Amino acid sequence: MQGVDVPLSDAPASLLARIAQGDRDAFSRFYDAFAGLALGLIRRILRDPGAAEEVLQEVFWQIWQEAPRYDPLRGSPEAWLVMRAKTRAIDRLRAMRRREKTFVASVDEAVASAPDLPTENPGVAAERRGLVRSALDGLPEAQRRVVELAFFEGLSQSEIARRLGEPLGTVKTRARLGLERLRNAMRREGERQE
Amino acid sequence: MNRDEIVELAAGYALGALDAEDRARFEALLDAGDVEARAALRDFEATVRDVAAETAEAPPPAVKAALMARIDAEHRARGAVTRLQSTLRTTAPRRSPRTIVLVGAMAAGIAAIAVGLVVSTVYDRRIDQLGRQQMQLQQELTRQQELVTILQDPATRVVALAGLPAAPDARGRMLWHAKVGGLLVTQGLPPAPEGKAYELWAISGKAAPVPAGVFTVDARGVGSIRVAPVEGGAGPDTFAVTLEPAGGVPAPTGSMYLVGKL
Repeated sequence: MQGVDVPLSDAPASLLARIAQGDRDAFSRFYDAFAGLALGLIRRILRDPGAAEEVLQEVFWQIWQEAPRYDPLRGSPEAWLVMRAKTRAIDRLRAMRRREKTFVASVDEAVASAPDLPTENPGVAAERRGLVRSALDGLPEAQRRVVELAFFEGLSQSEIARRLGEPLGTVKTRARLGLERLRNAMRREGERQE
Repeated sequence: MNRDEIVELAAGYALGALDAEDRARFEALLDAGDVEARAALRDFEATVRDVAAETAEAPPPAVKAALMARIDAEHRARGAVTRLQSTLRTTAPRRSPRTIVLVGAMAAGIAAIAVGLVVSTVYDRRIDQLGRQQMQLQQELTRQQELVTILQDPATRVVALAGLPAAPDARGRMLWHAKVGGLLVTQGLPPAPEGKAYELWAISGKAAPVPAGVFTVDARGVGSIRVAPVEGGAGPDTFAVTLEPAGGVPAPTGSMYLVGKL
């Protein structure tokens, strides 16, 4: 997302600014643009369609109520939404695990197997999924583990360090190297497909 | 802070994995408008978004419908609170005990010169009237708050009821929560004939329909009914509306007008 300072009417930052004023139509548009993105992530973390839809509703209700607190200096609206979706999904995952440990597949399993879910445009989604999957698979194991523990299991860097028995500095470096490699791999793949 | 460190913080921030102290340091950089920090973050955010977008999928329409209904209910509840507050503001001075005492004293004084009874009655009637008005607003507020509570619970489902041949243009919408019950709103139903009313049924699988309340509609076919939760069993999976004798019947006998599945 470029040009936050000069928002277009349907630019995400502009929609969020209107949502902050209580604009129902802007909320509807923001939902249409990004609910699919959020739901995909939530389902990937939770693997329970009913719970995922509940979390999706919670996340967007939070967006409606907290839009005035969005600060463009601290990231794009999509990142703001993705982080909320991730946090809420992980909160729910932990609550579900506490209640019924067998209910949710382990995160390793969730990440290892490609989800068999209906998509809006199966062709495009499969292509993209393949791209991200192959980019993730292409990471050295140690980096992939850090990225996945952070993103899909919601651990902080010091928690990851404790889990893996590695120094905190190593975890920080791996997170950075992992994301950089992921970015470069996806860029290369994207360019090749164009 | 050197560039490597900034990029490292940006990666952890984009993954949502920074510990509190690091997060505060990085946010301080962002807030100060640090160009490197912002550029690194933008870069990593795009990668994280691509990872998140990997499995993007269209959500079922019910989620959005429930959200928009929550927003509308919140709006209405705010309106009701504002109306109630403004009514209380205008009525409060007359209703305060001190004022009532003053009014009483004044009435008594005037009664002493033989016109007091009339004045006192006028004030009593006015106070009664305002009391009733406030009670009505309080009831309306309670109803709206109840609705908002239902709507705010993510477990609430929205069920669309479609019109059957008896009234093909009729529509219904049920907000349903297994533990607290729900609210059905209909439109386009023909007004019930004399001695008849619409009855709502909650149906669970192959079990016999359970009566869930009787309601009528106005001239536009608009009706609404608050529905109690259904006790026991797996809970209803289908709701239906039939035309029945006005008092309601224990098992459906008349034509079915609306039906919808959870």
